[in-house]
Amino acid sequence: METISEIVEMDHLNHARFESWHFSQDFCITCGMCSSSCPVSGIDGFDPRKLVRMVSLGLEDQVIEARWPWICTMCAKCEHVCPMEINIPAMVRNIRGLRDREKVPGILHKGLAAALETGNNLGLPKEDFVFILEDVAEEIKEEPGFEDFSVPIDKQGAKLLTTIHNKLVNTHTEDLKHWWKIFHAAKEDWTVPSDNWEGTNWGLFTGDDESMKIMAGRIAENMQRLKIETLMWPE
Amino acid sequence: MTVFDLLIQYIREGRIRLDKTRFAGITATYHDPCNYGRKAEKLFGHGYFDEPRWILDQCIDNWGDLYPAKMNQLCCGGGGGTLTTGYNQERIFYGRRKMEQIKAAGAQMIVVPCHSCHGQLNNIKKEYGMNDLTVKYLWELVADCLII
Repeated sequence: METISEIVEMDHLNHARFESWHFSQDFCITCGMCSSSCPVSGIDGFDPRKLVRMVSLGLEDQVIEARWPWICTMCAKCEHVCPMEINIPAMVRNIRGLRDREKVPGILHKGLAAALETGNNLGLPKEDFVFILEDVAEEIKEEPGFEDFSVPIDKQGAKLLTTIHNKLVNTHTEDLKHWWKIFHAAKEDWTVPSDNWEGTNWGLFTGDDESMKIMAGRIAENMQRLKIETLMWPE
Repeated sequence: MTVFDLLIQYIREGRIRLDKTRFAGITATYHDPCNYGRKAEKLFGHGYFDEPRWILDQCIDNWGDLYPAKMNQLCCGGGGGTLTTGYNQERIFYGRRKMEQIKAAGAQMIVVPCHSCHGQLNNIKKEYGMNDLTVKYLWELVADCLII
């Protein structure tokens, strides 16, 4: 049987490390409700209860290096069942934010960096974006009842501004058509911005509050620039 | 403004009309995304549970809930950026319970109002022998039922 000192490196304990975090992690009674409710429990040895305890014990390097916070989907089932109301998904997000940006897995940070630099995750130039939108609009016009359809880009004073998920101007352009058809049928006065149209905000996933604010702020700027009161941001 | 409130407004005000026979004979179900449901309830005091179900009622007769649903819904496995971390084996495994739920409901079509859920369910259905399952955005369902 393993002893505690074989499992936990006692030198790394630092109770004070995360005491400023307000996720109630120190209230954990180790009941295991989170572990039972979590669909990712068991993968790679993950278990939300263990992660909560590691944060409470201040095992900083281990939680930051672990794959666990990144295979969690932050679905909040654990938080919903937790009798101590520990905010586990937000805690996971904060752990993600502590990782060196170069070590953020997959394309999450690269996409976000591209968005900060170019306005969208793909780094898609404005003229290509506009070309794609107009191309899809031409396809809609060929359908019965949509002969007079057009896509209003940067329309000043429109009633409704919409953002665009980058995959809809990449691999899934067909899926642009659903909302556009509804807008047309409802005679909505809508528009889409030609700059900073990105609807996803990957700072949400990487724990990067500053980038999230910048991305959200750009959407607000679009509303001010075009004098639009209502936003639909489905992403 | 949320996608739900906008669709409901269009329908209530008669700005769009919907043909309920479009998907006659299809058995459908609905997936509650974490962010619109459980997390919205927690963060904003209102989870969007009833609104999408009302919209479904306007589009299709034969649909039923997954079990469990609403606050106790099971995550699709595609949230939190997991579609983009590269940890795909884990993500596919995560979705197993959702796919079991859909199978148990006998659904041929699953309706979702979230880009991540849509991407995940479409991506993993083949892994669970469910190639014939139609994964549809809620607004796609509405657009498909439009009477022009």
